[in-house]
Amino acid sequence: MRLEDLRECVQKGLDSVKQEKTEIEVFASWNELVTMRLNYTSDIPSGGLHEPKSSQFSGIAVSSAFSNKGKTSLGFGSQANELRPRGVKEAFRKAKRGRFYDPDFRSLPSPMGSPTLVDYHDPAILDISDEEAVDLGWKALEGALRAFQEAGIKESIIVGGDVCILKELVAIKSTTGIDTFDVSTILTAAITTMVEKEGVKGTGWATSTKLAGFDPALAGREAALSAIRTIGGKRLPPGRYEVVFGSQPITDMMANVIAPSLSLATVNASNTPFLGKLGQRITSPNLNIYDDGSLPGQIGSKKVTCEGLPTGRTDLVQEGNLVGFLANHYLGRKFSSNVATFVPRNGFRFHGLGRTYEIQAGVFPTNLVVEGRQEATTEELFRGIREGVYIGRIWYTYPINGLAAGDFTSTVIGDSFLIKDGQISTPLKPNVVRINDNINRVLQNIVAVGREKKAIQVWSAEEAVIAPEIRVEGVRLDSIAAGTA
Amino acid sequence: MGMKIIFGIEALEGAKSGIREAIDYARSLKDCRYADLRVGLVETRTASSENGNPKIAREDVHSSFGVRVIAGSPQTEAWGYYAQPLGKAELGGRALWKTLRQGIDRAYQRAMVSSHRKQALRELAPALSPVRLAPVEISKDMVPARFEEDPRRIPIKEVLSEAINITRQAKSVSPEMRFAFLMMATGLTRELFFSTEGAELDQAYALTNATLLVVAQKGSAIPESFIDHIGSHGGWEAVRGKNVYNKSFLDFALERARDTAELAGAEFLPSTEKPVTVVTEPHFNTLLVHEIIGHPTEADRALKMETAYAGRSWLLRRLDDNEFGRQVASPLITAFSDPTLEGYGNYKYDAEGVPGRRVMLIEKGILRGFMNSRETAAILAQEPNGSMRATACHYVPLVRMTNTVIAPGDRNPQDILSEVEEGYYIVNHRIPSISESRENFRMSAQKVYKIENGRLTRLYRGGGITSDSREFLMSIDAVGNDLVVLPIPNCGKGQPMQVMRVGNGGPTLRGKARLTGEYTR
Repeated sequence: MRLEDLRECVQKGLDSVKQEKTEIEVFASWNELVTMRLNYTSDIPSGGLHEPKSSQFSGIAVSSAFSNKGKTSLGFGSQANELRPRGVKEAFRKAKRGRFYDPDFRSLPSPMGSPTLVDYHDPAILDISDEEAVDLGWKALEGALRAFQEAGIKESIIVGGDVCILKELVAIKSTTGIDTFDVSTILTAAITTMVEKEGVKGTGWATSTKLAGFDPALAGREAALSAIRTIGGKRLPPGRYEVVFGSQPITDMMANVIAPSLSLATVNASNTPFLGKLGQRITSPNLNIYDDGSLPGQIGSKKVTCEGLPTGRTDLVQEGNLVGFLANHYLGRKFSSNVATFVPRNGFRFHGLGRTYEIQAGVFPTNLVVEGRQEATTEELFRGIREGVYIGRIWYTYPINGLAAGDFTSTVIGDSFLIKDGQISTPLKPNVVRINDNINRVLQNIVAVGREKKAIQVWSAEEAVIAPEIRVEGVRLDSIAAGTA
Repeated sequence: MGMKIIFGIEALEGAKSGIREAIDYARSLKDCRYADLRVGLVETRTASSENGNPKIAREDVHSSFGVRVIAGSPQTEAWGYYAQPLGKAELGGRALWKTLRQGIDRAYQRAMVSSHRKQALRELAPALSPVRLAPVEISKDMVPARFEEDPRRIPIKEVLSEAINITRQAKSVSPEMRFAFLMMATGLTRELFFSTEGAELDQAYALTNATLLVVAQKGSAIPESFIDHIGSHGGWEAVRGKNVYNKSFLDFALERARDTAELAGAEFLPSTEKPVTVVTEPHFNTLLVHEIIGHPTEADRALKMETAYAGRSWLLRRLDDNEFGRQVASPLITAFSDPTLEGYGNYKYDAEGVPGRRVMLIEKGILRGFMNSRETAAILAQEPNGSMRATACHYVPLVRMTNTVIAPGDRNPQDILSEVEEGYYIVNHRIPSISESRENFRMSAQKVYKIENGRLTRLYRGGGITSDSREFLMSIDAVGNDLVVLPIPNCGKGQPMQVMRVGNGGPTLRGKARLTGEYTR
């Protein structure tokens, strides 16, 4: 698919349906997700690269605001796998047929500044062959297996995870002045390994927007070494502990508990622990959180949102104070007033497989950056902890009593250690500790924020979290699975 | 009524000859041992409303296909896949044949490259094996959709006005109600399955459903929210009460809204350090069964294929070290998975063309079987039982729950409650958090009642239970006779994640678990 074809489609399509007193936006997208899913088990017959696969999506969406006698009706229609003006006409007909009056609707988006991130995709990824793609998957597996071989481990090995290639093309044109396009390319490798008889699990990641320098073998190797490091793990009695969370747990908490709470979508539903707290302190004063979809080289970056507006930085938490919420155009307009404005930098049409024409723009993070006002070296982060826990990977993190209550739970599944006298000591046995705590308390009890950061994506999320290690005191850990782990 | 159907599921009829040609083409490819093609089309009307205002009204028609190929040299045969959507212009005649052929070529190419790489890596990875599919009887069949009111005949405006009416009334049940949102859809799906082994299947089903979110807040207290789902494999009649709840979507929403408003003023549940007696009711058990019986008895998970995503299963450590034939639950517990039952897991043939059948998972507490695919059945030396499904044809099929339930016992649920001197009644599932191999769970409930001398006394919110799975299942000392198969609309699995509908259910159970609640605040 060529970007030129998408641009021509929205241009000619918009011309073909234009009419007076009607705002119309035409959105066209094409994307392809190539997934190389690994499954190697040394003790069970397995395929290695189990699923070399891909899926493409393309189509058109038309959003229309029909004005009649001072009242505006909103309509939305889409047409699958059709990138010609006649598809726009059909989508417009659907929008017209289903139109309705929505009192919260103000207008379709209008131009708002210029994008700072332009021409950031890699043509080599757009043109990658099936053979090259399959090779990337096998390289990740080989990286992990070589590391196990070097460590003399031959049995009880599991290597899973995937290498993904996402290619996205969008073009948007509207009667309100939007006329833009975007091309993005993303590479990710997320590899998990186990030495099952030892009960250890390790993970490794690689992310890039360019093919050159993307090294899935290194992610595989990192995953294997990480598992090997935690052999000989111990259990932990239940209690409250000083915990240093690694980048993955911070990412998991951000993606599943914190970021949804910092969105106008949950404000709209009165379903966030931060409702009515704009301007108030919600975390330790040493914490900043912002979203920035314009960061060069990051996998959550885009030139424009799916509403055709430039991406950029939205501050959410500054020195512990709640200063903003993620917004799309629709909710930004609904909630903006003379005391608060919400810039719509996060209106995306994500559906788990990239940007899609099928749905209207919701509110999604891009690159969520977590940082400290004062950042600590790794040594400083651990200094003074007499007995604590380093948690490197958690799983199934959910706001267990609903988002607004802030309670969350999660299990520790690998990459974790006990901390003794400021040093990493004995590995923590995976799958024997459950975190049971409240996110408000965890955010308030931050003791230190690390300087080093890692960009990580969690399973099924579209955003990346650029996360440091964070030390928190008094985290409630429970001992589980006494009989089976 | 009487709308013109522009591009609908009838369009698939003309696709069959193109699919047969494509399958013939796959048969002609060198070293191609197997191929199958799934072509599907979905027609839906979707509407949403919040607080009595319209938000979404959409008419969608989506078509897509997926190819699976096994190819390569005999010792290293490998999978290759390809999928893409199909437009209106591509669904007929030569255009379809051309698109399918290109798809087969891509899948074949991937399989061949993978087979070569597998060969090259065998020294380092001796367990690399050729893909094997357990043999099955080949079927040719047509399964029509069942409905009374054709979803295609319901104007989008009617779907929208129903949604508006429901959220307007739900928002009005109490001054404490802050938010009422409903997304509802009605539609038809048709899927064709053709394979190089000769299978030719044409299955269709209707689906009408709604997901509700209600939020209530009393003063400045923490808001109380609840999400629930209602629906059935039926037409528009489901909205008026022909569904498993035997309630109109409106009555269902009003009941949930009233509960949520009442809970907004309730106390948070105190947690316990030790297990206490809990009676869990069928709605709560729907999710419990899903998480601690359904998922760990999926063969792909047990065979470690999901290690990087949704985890493994504590029921199988190695092929020669597992829980088959061992006691994993109280002798009162029998659990099975059955796609022939009514429910979201109902179908005749799975996504590999295998007839779905009842799979005994746990019999009187003893582990008996796993839901499987043809590939996992071959590895486990078992018979395929037709448990492979994909969310749509452009997704790769995975082992999925069907209607996976705990079988009903012989106890009256009221008696189970009234025998409890002191305990807790756990009502309506909310959110689960399960450990990696499903060996431990924490699951929240919408409502928790204190039981004192056999009677429900105080109501709590923000509570749930936690336990190691085996310990909880072994503690069950009473099983009710009140099984219902309820819809779970959003089971996530695979990469990219597929969200699948499954049916789950469990009758009233009595056992021991720790309460989770206020100690986290």
